[in-house]
Amino acid sequence: MADKSWHLDRRSFLMGAGSVSLALPWMECMADTPAAAPSPKRMCAMYWGFGVGLPPENNENANWRWFPNGEGRDFQFTDTLSPLECFRNDVTVMGGLSHPNGRRMGGHDTGDTFLTGAFLNNQYLENTVSVDQVAAAALSKHTRFSSLVLSTDGGVGEPTRSSTLSYNDKGRPIPALNQPQQIFDRFFGSGDADLIARRRRLKSASGMLDRVLEDSRSLSRRLGREDQQKFDEYLAAVRQIEQRVERTQQWLEIPRPELRDEERDILHLESDDKAPLLFMRTMYDLIYLAFRTDSTRVATYQITNMADASSLSGKFPQLEGFKGNLHGLAHGWNKPEGAVKLGQWDQFMAEQFSYFLGRLQSAQEEHGTVLDNSVILYGSSNSTTHNNNNYPLVLAGGRNLGLQHGRYLKFDNKVPMSNMFVTMLNAVGVENPKFADSTGEMTELKQA
Amino acid sequence: MKRPSSHVLLSVLSLLTVASVSAEDLNFDRDVRPILKSRCIGCHGPDTQEANIRLDNLATDLVNNRPAAENWHEVLNVLDAAEMPPEDEEQLTTEERRILTTWVRGAVDHYIESNRSTNGRVVQRRLNRLEYQNTMTDLLGLKMDYARDLPPDPPSEDGFQNDGRALRMSGLQLEYYLDTARRALDRIIIPGEAPQQYDYTFDKCNVKGWRGNVERSNRLQRGQVFLGTMVKDYPEKGEFRIRVTFTAELRENKGFPILELCVGYRPDTQILFRTVDTVEITTEEEQTLEFRGFLENYPLPVRGQGKFPGLVVRVRNIYDDGTPRPKANKGKFPDEPEIPVINVKTVQFEAPVFEEWPAPLHRRILFASELQQSDERAYVRDVMKRFMRRAWRRAVTDKEAKRYVDFYASIRKEFPTFEEAMTETLAMVLISPDFLYLVEPSGDEKRQVTDWELASRLAYFLWSTMPDDILLQRAEEGVLHKPEVLATEVERLLADKRSNRFIDQFTSQWLHLDVVDRVAVSKDHYGEFKEELRRDMVGQTQAFFGELLRTNTSAMTLLNSDFLMLNERTAAHYGYENVYGRSFRPVSVREGDLRGGLLTEASVLLANSNGTDSHAVRRAVWIRDRLLNDPPAPPPPDVPSLEEAKPEFQKLTIREQLEVHREREACASCHRNIDPWGIALENFDAVGLWRDEVRGRKKGKSFETKPVMASDTLPNGTELSGVNGLRDYLVTQKHRQFSRALVTRLLTYAVGRRLELSDQREIDDLTEKAEQNEYRLGDMVRAIVQSPVFQTK
Repeated sequence: MADKSWHLDRRSFLMGAGSVSLALPWMECMADTPAAAPSPKRMCAMYWGFGVGLPPENNENANWRWFPNGEGRDFQFTDTLSPLECFRNDVTVMGGLSHPNGRRMGGHDTGDTFLTGAFLNNQYLENTVSVDQVAAAALSKHTRFSSLVLSTDGGVGEPTRSSTLSYNDKGRPIPALNQPQQIFDRFFGSGDADLIARRRRLKSASGMLDRVLEDSRSLSRRLGREDQQKFDEYLAAVRQIEQRVERTQQWLEIPRPELRDEERDILHLESDDKAPLLFMRTMYDLIYLAFRTDSTRVATYQITNMADASSLSGKFPQLEGFKGNLHGLAHGWNKPEGAVKLGQWDQFMAEQFSYFLGRLQSAQEEHGTVLDNSVILYGSSNSTTHNNNNYPLVLAGGRNLGLQHGRYLKFDNKVPMSNMFVTMLNAVGVENPKFADSTGEMTELKQA
Repeated sequence: MKRPSSHVLLSVLSLLTVASVSAEDLNFDRDVRPILKSRCIGCHGPDTQEANIRLDNLATDLVNNRPAAENWHEVLNVLDAAEMPPEDEEQLTTEERRILTTWVRGAVDHYIESNRSTNGRVVQRRLNRLEYQNTMTDLLGLKMDYARDLPPDPPSEDGFQNDGRALRMSGLQLEYYLDTARRALDRIIIPGEAPQQYDYTFDKCNVKGWRGNVERSNRLQRGQVFLGTMVKDYPEKGEFRIRVTFTAELRENKGFPILELCVGYRPDTQILFRTVDTVEITTEEEQTLEFRGFLENYPLPVRGQGKFPGLVVRVRNIYDDGTPRPKANKGKFPDEPEIPVINVKTVQFEAPVFEEWPAPLHRRILFASELQQSDERAYVRDVMKRFMRRAWRRAVTDKEAKRYVDFYASIRKEFPTFEEAMTETLAMVLISPDFLYLVEPSGDEKRQVTDWELASRLAYFLWSTMPDDILLQRAEEGVLHKPEVLATEVERLLADKRSNRFIDQFTSQWLHLDVVDRVAVSKDHYGEFKEELRRDMVGQTQAFFGELLRTNTSAMTLLNSDFLMLNERTAAHYGYENVYGRSFRPVSVREGDLRGGLLTEASVLLANSNGTDSHAVRRAVWIRDRLLNDPPAPPPPDVPSLEEAKPEFQKLTIREQLEVHREREACASCHRNIDPWGIALENFDAVGLWRDEVRGRKKGKSFETKPVMASDTLPNGTELSGVNGLRDYLVTQKHRQFSRALVTRLLTYAVGRRLELSDQREIDDLTEKAEQNEYRLGDMVRAIVQSPVFQTK
C-alpha cells in the first residue's frame, strides 16, 4: 500500500496558507485521484574509488573477479557480486564502458569526471555539468530539494581528488553533505515550530539577498581581475540561495514528510567515518527516505574516493576488519592473497548496495516500488587501480521507466559511457539527445 | 595493464637527455616544425586528421589558448608513452624525439605557469572554517559551534587551508552562513523580560536506574561517575554556570587526575553527552572550578519521553595510566591505590545566568542609549556602525550604514519586536562579502595595503581571527604600517596565547599532520596502540615548533634537537620515564637514543606509514616535498606494475623490494632519488617506535622478521645511513634548501596564496636574512610581517 500519511487535502492545505498568497508549486501530494498521478521518476548514482579486483578468468581466485562469468542473460555472479543475486532481475552489469576522456587522464584523477565525462588533468581543472544535475534541473520543480549530494568526506575537495560527484551547469562542484544528522535535519527536521516566524524570516532573507547583491555589484567594480573572478563565485552563491529561499517559501506551508517509526529507528544519525558500515547504511537510508517521501528525485553519493591518505574513507577497510587500507587493497589485485582480500572488500561494498536496493524495493508506490521508478548507477572509474578503462558498473532499478535487466552486457570501448547517461536521462523523462561526448542512445538497455 | 617496457625505456632515454637542452634554446620554426612536417603531418595535417588532431596549424603561443595547450599536452603524452609514431611508421630519431618533447614540454609548462599565476597577488580570500569559528566567537563573545554545518575547506595545491584561490563559495555554504548568524544572534539578542533562573546544588548522585558498567560515587577513580539530574524543572536555553567543588588525592609517580564535566541526558551511552571541559588537577586542596556554556550546544532530553527523562550533569575522572581496568563486583569497583582520585563535594548548576537583564552580550551590541527611545533610526544607525566596524574590520561610511538602516526600516513592521528586526539586520552584515572575505579592493596595479587591511592580515596570520580592539585602534590612527608600531604589535600578538593558533595551524598544514588521523593502525601489529595517542603525537610536533618560536631558537633545531617535547602519553610511547601530566615540556634526549628533530617524531612517522609498516616512499616524498620544497614528480598515468605476484618478491623486505623496483629503468629514473630518503628512517616502525627488525607476515602469534637495512645511496653518491646519516646530511648539506623551503611555506601561509616566480627575490632576501641571523625562528616570522610581500596587495 502506498504510504499516505502526509497526503493533504486541498482544504486543509489552503487553510494553513492563511492570508499569504504564494505561488504554489504543483504537488503530487495533492493529486485528487491517486491513479492519475504518475509515480515520480528518480535518478541516483553511487561511486567508489580505485576500481575492483579482477584476477584473470583462469586464475585460482577467479571467483573474486568483480565481473560475472558468461554474458547476456546467461551469466553467473562471482562471489564478489553474489549479494546482488536476489536482485538479479533488477540489475544489469555493464562491462567495457569508460569515458574516452578519462582514458587520457591520470590513473587516480578520474573520480571527478565519473558523472561528467569531462577532460581534466593537473593543468586543466575545469569540469562540466554532471548527469545528475541535468536531471535535477528538469525534475526539481516537483520537490522540496532539487538534489541530495552526499559523500564520505563532504565539501568539494580539490580538483582531481574531489569529494563530490555533482557539478552544476557551470562545472562548479556542488558541496556534498557528510553528516547524517545535518542531512536529516535539512530534509526531515521540522525547522522552527513557528510557521509565521519562519515566513517572516524567509521574506526578510530575500530582501537581504537583494541588497547584498546590489552592494556587491558596486564592490565588484572596485576589484582587480583575479578578485573579480573569485567574487563572481560569491554572486553566483547569492543567486543560488535566492532560488533556494524562493523554493522554501513555496514549500513552507507543506508539512515536512512524516517518517514511520521503523524508519526513524533504523537511522544512526550519530554515525560517521569511524564506523563505515553503519555510516554507509545510514547514508543509503537517507537517500531512500528522501526518495520515498519524494523530497528530491536526484541523489549522488561518493562512498569512497581516490584521495588516499587525505580521505576519511582511506581507512574504511581496516575499520571493518579487512587487512589493508583502501589504496593498499586495490594494489593487491594481482597478488594471490591480495585478490582474495580485495574481492572480499568488493563484496562488502556490494552487500551495502544490495541493502540499499532492498530498501527501495520495500517501498510500494501507486505504480510499483520506489526501485522500479528509480534509475540507479553504482560504479567506479577504474577497473583495477590506475586503469581508466572498463569501469565496473551496475545499472539498477527503473523497470517502470523502460529499463530491461537481468543481464551482463559487454560493450566495445568505442561506445562512450555518456551514451548510457543519455538513456538514463531519457528514462527519467529528460529528453536530452546528447550528453558530453555521447554518440547516441544505448538502446540495448531498453531491449529485452 | 599495459607493459610497454621497450617503449618506456625509449621515453626514459628522452627524459634523461632533456637536461642537456632547454626549451628556450629551441626555435619552433627552425627546430620543431620540420620534424612535425616529416613525421606527423601526414596523418595529422590538412588532408587527414587522425584522432581529430591536426598539427600543421596548431597554435604555438599557448598562453590563454586552452584548446591548443590541451592538444599539445596530448602530443606530449603520446610521445612519452611512445605511442606515436605508430609502430609500422617510420620512427623518430632520438634527437628528434628529444627536440620535440623538450619544446612541447616547455610550451605546456609555460601555459600552466601563466594560467596558475595570480600575478603575485593574493586572491580575495574567504575566512576558512577555523577563521570563521574564531571570528564569530570574538565578534559576538558567544561560544558556539559556528562551523558545524559548513562544508570542509579544500586545501591548496601546496597543502594550505587558507589559500584564497582554493577556498570556494557555494549556495549551500552561504545558506549555512545565514543560518549560523541567526542561530547565534538568537541566543544573544533576546527580547522581553528576563527568563526564570534555575539553581540546583547536588552533594551526591541522584540518578537511579543506571545502566552500563559504572558505579555512582563522590569518590572518582576510573570506574565511578558523579551524576546530578534535573527531571522536570530545568531550562532549555541560555548560558549555564556549573561550579564543581572537590578535593583530590594525588599519587607519586603517576599523572594528575583529570576532571571531566559533561552535560547531556542519556546515562547509558556516550552519544547524548557533550563535554564541557576537562581540567588537569594538580593540587589536593579543596577548590571550586567554574564552567560556562550554552545549553543550546548540548543534547537536551525530549520532554514527555519517558525513557531518559531529565537533564544530567556528569563529572568523571578520566585519568588512565594504561594498566588493565579492574572489573566491577556487584556494581562496585575495587579501590585502585595507584590511581589518583577526585572527591566531589558539591556540583552547582545555574541557568540561565545573568547578573543584569538584558545580558551583557546583548548590551554589547544593543547598547544602552537614550536615542533608543527618542530617535530609533539614529539609534539603529549607531548600533550598525559600531557592529559593522568590528565585523568588517574597517571604518564604515555613513552611506554604507544607511543601507542597513534602510533594510531595518523595510522589515521592521513585519517583526513583532525591535530586537527581532535587529537580529535580521545584523545577520545581513554577517553574510556580506566584507565579513566573509578579506576584501582588499584594488585595481590591476599592485599597491601597499591599507592599515585596516594590514591589521586583518596580521590578525589572521598570527591569531586566525579578526583584529582585536587595539589592532583596530592602531589601524584607525593610521600608524600600524610604521615599522616600530608594527613590531610592537607583532610582539604583542606573539605573546598572546591566541598565537597558539598560528603554531598549531601552520605546523599542521605545513607538515600535513592531519593525515595522522587518517591512517588506521593495524591492531595485529600494534595491539597496544591507543587511539588517544594520535592527538598527543600531533601535539608534540606543534609544541616543538611552538617552543622554538617562543625561545627564538634556530629553525635548524627542527632537523635535529637534543631535547624532545613530551607529555605523559608521548613519553610512555617512547619509553621515557618520570614525565607526568598532559602538558608538553622539553626533556633531554636520553643517552644512546637517536631521537631528536621532526624526522623522529611519531606524528610524522605514522602519517607517512600505512598503519602496518613504515612506508619508505611516502616518507621520502614527505621529506623532499615538505622539508625541502623539492617534490618528486607524481607517477605517470600508467606506472608499470612490479612483479609483485611472484612469491619470492613477497618475501623481500621493503628495502629489497625497492631495489627490485629500481632495476626497472622506468622506475629507476625517479626512484633513485626518492627511496634513499625514506630508507634511512627504516629503523622507525609505523607508529614511530625504534626497531632493529622488520616484522613481516604473521605466523601464529609471532611474526616473520628480517633485520632492518636503513642505508642507501643518493644519485650524487652520498650514502644516507640511518637516521643519523640522514640528519647529518640535511644539517650540513641541505640547510640552505631547508631554510628556504621553510621561509617559502611560512610566507605562503602568511599571505594566503601560492608563491610565484615574481616572489623569488623576496624569498631569497628573507632566506639570506634568516641565515645571517642564525635561522632564529621567531625572527623569521617577524621578518615576514615586515616584508613587502606581506604588505602588498
